[in-house]
Amino acid sequence: MQKQDFGDETLELPLIDDCATVESAVEKSWSKIAPFWPLKNLIAVNPIAGFEDLPFKEALVQAKAYFQQTEMPAGMQEVNRQSIKWLQAFFDEGQATIKMPFKNAGLFKSTLSLIRFDSQIHQNDEHKINWIKQQPNEPEAFIASALSYLKIEQHDWDLFLSLMLTTLPGWAAHIQYKANWAAGSSSAEQSEYLAFRLALTCLIWPDAKKLINWHKNALNSANQENTYNDIFSAELSYQYKLLKQFGDYAPPQEQKKPKAQMVFCIDVRSEPFRRAIEAQGNYATYGFAGFFGLPVSISNPVTHESYASCPVLLKPAYNVAQTPDEANQSNVHKHNRLTLLKKLYQSLKYTFTTPFNLVETVGSTTGLWMFARTLAPRAADAMQAGLKKTIAPDFHTKTDVRNIPLSQQIGISANALKMIGLTENFSPMVVFCGHGSATVNNTFSTALDCGACGGRHGGPNARALAEILNSKAVRFGLSEQGINIPDETFFAAAEHNTTTDDVEIYINEKDLSPTLSGHLKKLREALKAAQISAVQYRGGQIPAETANGSNLRKSVARRSTDWAEVRPEWGLAGNASFIIGPRWLTENINLEGRSFLHSYEWQTDNNGSLLTSILTAPMVVGQWINAQYLFSTLDNVAFGAGSKITNNITGKIGVMQGNASDLMHGLPLQSVFATDTTPYHTTLRLTVVVYAPKETISGIIAQQAILQKLFGNGWLHMICLDPTDHKKYRLVRDLGWTHIN
Amino acid sequence: MISLVLFVAICIGSFSLRYLRGDSNRKTFFVNLTIMVTTVIVMVSADNIFLLWSAWVISNVFLTRLMLHKAEWKAAKASAVLAQKNFALGALFLGTALMILYNLTGETSIQTILTKPLNSEWQAVVGLLLLMAAMSQSALWPFHKWLTSSLNSPTPVSAIMHAGLVNGGGFLLARFAPMLLGQPQILNLIFIMGIVTALLGTLWKLMQSDVKRMLACSTMGQMGFMIAQCGLGLFPAAVAHLCWHGLFKAYLFLSSGSAAKEKRLDLDYPPSFKDFAKALFCGVLAAATFSITSEKHLLVADTSLFLTFLSLIAGTQFALPIVRGQSGIKFLAGAGAGILMGAFYGLNVYIIEWVLAPLHLSIPQPLNFVHFTGGGLLFVSWLYMLFMPDPNKRALPEWLLKGYVKMLNASQPHRKTITANRNEYQF
Repeated sequence: MQKQDFGDETLELPLIDDCATVESAVEKSWSKIAPFWPLKNLIAVNPIAGFEDLPFKEALVQAKAYFQQTEMPAGMQEVNRQSIKWLQAFFDEGQATIKMPFKNAGLFKSTLSLIRFDSQIHQNDEHKINWIKQQPNEPEAFIASALSYLKIEQHDWDLFLSLMLTTLPGWAAHIQYKANWAAGSSSAEQSEYLAFRLALTCLIWPDAKKLINWHKNALNSANQENTYNDIFSAELSYQYKLLKQFGDYAPPQEQKKPKAQMVFCIDVRSEPFRRAIEAQGNYATYGFAGFFGLPVSISNPVTHESYASCPVLLKPAYNVAQTPDEANQSNVHKHNRLTLLKKLYQSLKYTFTTPFNLVETVGSTTGLWMFARTLAPRAADAMQAGLKKTIAPDFHTKTDVRNIPLSQQIGISANALKMIGLTENFSPMVVFCGHGSATVNNTFSTALDCGACGGRHGGPNARALAEILNSKAVRFGLSEQGINIPDETFFAAAEHNTTTDDVEIYINEKDLSPTLSGHLKKLREALKAAQISAVQYRGGQIPAETANGSNLRKSVARRSTDWAEVRPEWGLAGNASFIIGPRWLTENINLEGRSFLHSYEWQTDNNGSLLTSILTAPMVVGQWINAQYLFSTLDNVAFGAGSKITNNITGKIGVMQGNASDLMHGLPLQSVFATDTTPYHTTLRLTVVVYAPKETISGIIAQQAILQKLFGNGWLHMICLDPTDHKKYRLVRDLGWTHIN
Repeated sequence: MISLVLFVAICIGSFSLRYLRGDSNRKTFFVNLTIMVTTVIVMVSADNIFLLWSAWVISNVFLTRLMLHKAEWKAAKASAVLAQKNFALGALFLGTALMILYNLTGETSIQTILTKPLNSEWQAVVGLLLLMAAMSQSALWPFHKWLTSSLNSPTPVSAIMHAGLVNGGGFLLARFAPMLLGQPQILNLIFIMGIVTALLGTLWKLMQSDVKRMLACSTMGQMGFMIAQCGLGLFPAAVAHLCWHGLFKAYLFLSSGSAAKEKRLDLDYPPSFKDFAKALFCGVLAAATFSITSEKHLLVADTSLFLTFLSLIAGTQFALPIVRGQSGIKFLAGAGAGILMGAFYGLNVYIIEWVLAPLHLSIPQPLNFVHFTGGGLLFVSWLYMLFMPDPNKRALPEWLLKGYVKMLNASQPHRKTITANRNEYQF
């Protein structure tokens, strides 16, 4: 056994047996932490997903004790200050020009080799400096020795390690993302991080054992009775209203073939738009996860950018390239021109001495530009777009799906059509409509994009599926599976701009027959009309916009281009239910943009496999989103990012509040609150409504552990509209059904 | 000056109208903003020393009130207290200097005071006090802590602060320029303090990983450079720097919400010596055009040469990404770009100098050892960034590591202004 000196204390390195226990304590501590995605693709998650094994009410109590404490021992606060400093430097992804040395060595090793110079940590105490030099480089070994140094008893290990994480929860959540979800993730990050936190704690606050009692007191006094009751009563009144609107839900008589069929994302923002386009004529709409069932990454051969464009639960299996369809070389050239301009600016800005000249050279121009962007945001935006067009014009792109083998193209598209419930009765034009937001100077812009596409725009996926379904070979393959697509049916792709409710159809007019051109023209007109009415509805919900009519449309357009705008759109705020069933069920109901709508035809789903997919994938994502909005509203400090006005982006990955703070995970105040004191979002759990026999649903839940957890612990409500007896049932906690009158 | 203040105020006021929508302290914010802008206008146009001092103090008081947007947030409160203490110190320096002037001359008008002869000891004392007041106002080392800890303020407050009152130091020195111009020792000291801060601020800026602190450290460096220009006797150039930097930095703060989207490009350092030589040639062209458009004399060995030297560095840096590679056209393009940049740069400086020309504030000083050292440091630090060895390919010497940690610590905000427990944050 090796002994180490640290002042008067001696420190024993652990025996092998302890290592196994340490490992399990590390694992247990991390199980309390939900991941948090970086700004480049903000994915909604339940910030207390680590407590989903507990009943919702009990989880609220635990969350209060772990995450919402307004008092914290001073020693721990000092540990946090120093942790934040080093974490900022280590996890920086491109802000700092002079980077932290040894970043390749991992968090623990690199900080260990630098903190021996850090007098803010060791206070120039020789013992401490020597102690740092003698520590084992291996995180696991260090964790064990630190726990014994801090005199933490073995039965408290996992609690103490948990507290090392939950006292700085945002950073822990980022590490959880790095460890499990990022490209090239490795769970080694978890022990690295704990070792790092423990090292600082040993040096700064050797009395950290007190944290255990601090937490136990917090837990004893945590009472969430009122919070729970508020949530519950909000849910009851929402459900009462919703169910009343369903009425007797009788299936309609046979309808005539629609002029066009449009498939939208299940996103709650699609619902008001679907209502608007349906009102324009005989247009049928469907709801499906916005990645359209394609597990792909999207790449751009000109900019060399590539990203996963599918739910984070999936790994992309294929790459879809968006290649320029004009002369490739000239586009590359023009793109390089833009890059060079950016380089010129950055090379003057990020070095010594030349920034002094830079500001004097461009100061006057920047001043005028600031004036324009502030006082005439729309004109400034148009000017910027024009300028960009001159330097590096946008090029038409083709979606290249050749990387997906034909058999897979057939399989993927067949599955998508079945899930949508669109396997017959095809209109001449079928449009897959992805979505994305259009905002400027918005740190949280990706939180407004398509969650099913991993926090990206959904257009490229829509284009890929349309490309696949227009292929003759694929249609032949589909016909062998009984899906017969008429020759005159054309699949088109589009993207719904959720900020302005504008829909752009990606189509090359030259490819169209005259008949189709006619259809397209009519569709475009209908979409324009739908935009006007959707804007009236959605735009009017943003406070302080009293104007109406064309003024409202202008102000929506302004919000989308205004760099001073903190509420460009409401995103998924208000979300309250997830409705799985055919469109006729909800067609005549104003769902107020609060419902995820997933198409589903129970009669064609013989073994319940389609419903299983819906309940275990899109619905789970819906629950993540719902929980994020719920908790960001419930406590915007503990679970949200706080006000945008004092946000400070660090490392290009997340935000801090002001000078420095924890990484503020969750949604900003302005995403869920109309004013500092008035919430816009209502804190309630998602109500899932399924139009299918309750026996089918029960059978699926019995086979899926995740559904048992979520429904059994009350993280979701389930209501069944049973087509066999036309009654409404509620799923109760023991997973049985009660009849609702 | 007044039009600049109003211009910035209109931009930021209009921005804040939307930015602060729904904020419970929006009204208070606009009241404070209006008072601050008004007093700043009084300050920049005041000739009476008591009026100047009062406006100086009141505008700083209202700046700290703006910084303290949410008083319940402890860290924000600590930031405001820190700034308040710093400004109180500055007010004391300035007040003492003005009192001395008043006692010596019996005059209250700055114009008149500046025409009165003073004995050289008192001149030096007043000069030092003014320098200290300027340093605390413009966050020069070692008075910088309030600025690097000021980011608990709402974004528009940072914007107007960096475009406005932080520049007070440069304004103050320019206001009393005729008195300072007669004191080469004081000018040298001003130059030294300026250059030290210019180097420290830039170094810290390059090390920061959050956007707002990076901007704050950058301002610190820019303020250092502005004060250094005063030390060179080039007060109009300092005022030009003040104006253009203010607009630039205000813009960067307002757009700081986009920081995550800015993709940093690989600049592929170090360049080959051949490329560097080509860029250097373009830099010479830039310096030449700069000296023509800004009417600086190229062949006179006074401090105005300092600015020409810097335009040489900037021209080289600017041309470098263009000229790299084998093509002759690129070289030509680089040369053209250098000339264009030098001309545009010179023109921007010239505009302000032209406006200020009647005041006769520009008296270039003979170059001395201090100037050469300062210029040399700026040059070497720039070269180091270009030719710095890749830290991942080579073990770093201990002194560099030590230096990194020391500088990282020095650039941290005051500990009380950090929100160490997330739940202490209040909106």
